[in-house]
Amino acid sequence: MRSLRLRSAPVVAAVLAVVLAGPPARAQIAIGDAAPMTDVKLMNVDGKELTLGGLAGKKGTLVVFTCNACPWAKMWQTRVAQIGNAAAGAGLGMVAINSNDPAVNAEDGFAEMKKRAKLLKMKFPYVVDATSDVARAFGASRTPEAFLFDAQGKLVYHGTVDDSPKDAAAVKDPWLRDAVNAVASGKSVTTAETKALGCSIKFRGKTTS
Amino acid sequence: MVVAAFAAAIVATGCGGSTKTAARGDAAAVAAPDTLPLEPVTASDVHQRVLVPGARATLVNVWATWCEPCRAEFPALVSLADRERARGLRVLFVSADFDDQAATTKRFLAQHHTPGPWLVKTGRDQEFINGLDPRWSGALPVTIVYDPAGKPVQFWEGGADSARFAAAVAPLLEPPAR
Repeated sequence: MRSLRLRSAPVVAAVLAVVLAGPPARAQIAIGDAAPMTDVKLMNVDGKELTLGGLAGKKGTLVVFTCNACPWAKMWQTRVAQIGNAAAGAGLGMVAINSNDPAVNAEDGFAEMKKRAKLLKMKFPYVVDATSDVARAFGASRTPEAFLFDAQGKLVYHGTVDDSPKDAAAVKDPWLRDAVNAVASGKSVTTAETKALGCSIKFRGKTTS
Repeated sequence: MVVAAFAAAIVATGCGGSTKTAARGDAAAVAAPDTLPLEPVTASDVHQRVLVPGARATLVNVWATWCEPCRAEFPALVSLADRERARGLRVLFVSADFDDQAATTKRFLAQHHTPGPWLVKTGRDQEFINGLDPRWSGALPVTIVYDPAGKPVQFWEGGADSARFAAAVAPLLEPPAR
């Protein structure tokens, strides 16, 4: 019994160390970085496979991690669709990505994505991140979370939509809309990073190192 | 009568005290939600509560009734708070629900026999997030463990189980009685 305890002690210590250290630090792309995983095929709600590289616009590209089920994503979904449609119309690439595991909440499944894209009149792709690895590569952690790249492919805005999720009429800081307008007109983004509360992304089991 | 008893217990324990008498295992726990006092807090308010002497460790958990992983881990946290209070653990639950969800928040807190204080985040999200901990992205839930000096020694986003919570606070608590 004593030798068993001694032999298992390092294992216990190692497990405890992992537990206390928590998950590995989230690698997150920074302002000035390029978009990762631009060649990964992502299924759009129209059944076609797309890549982030193929979706890039001449003036820039807006990538929004969102989902169907999160109350915060729902509160912002109309504004995300409006901003996305405006971005697409202004010469930017635009894509909404759902990285959530639908096993956690069936509302995040593909069938509901199709309905949501139609309901919100999205004029841009709404794609599935089937492994959640795209979200991992971006360092996305919540929904909704926006990453805006300029014409050179550099990240110029990362964050939330605005400062009033619940009431669109009460928005004082339309950060994402302002950033998109700036990129569309070739200007610098005034506020590059913002935060808001949101649902954590429901990651699937890790598939890549 | 029941409501009056609950109110009296709140007065007796104060906002920062345990609500074990009022909120656990009796009729008052069922009747409590309407009278349960939610206290709006900024990030600075939370930090001030962390610095109140008397705890060997303070665990702050920001949660919301609409957040699935928050709901899933909540019972483990309540259990931890009760189990380790005598060894110096203070748990501060901070709801991120909206003002108009107060009834839902109170009902959830009462149903889970949550020890007070019953805090609810107020003010703009970004100021609260960065004020509480700049490492926090805003994703819920978030858990931060502070030492008695108010230094954050554990931080993570996302849900956890009872083993992780226990391991995170154990090094700071009184050794178990032999």
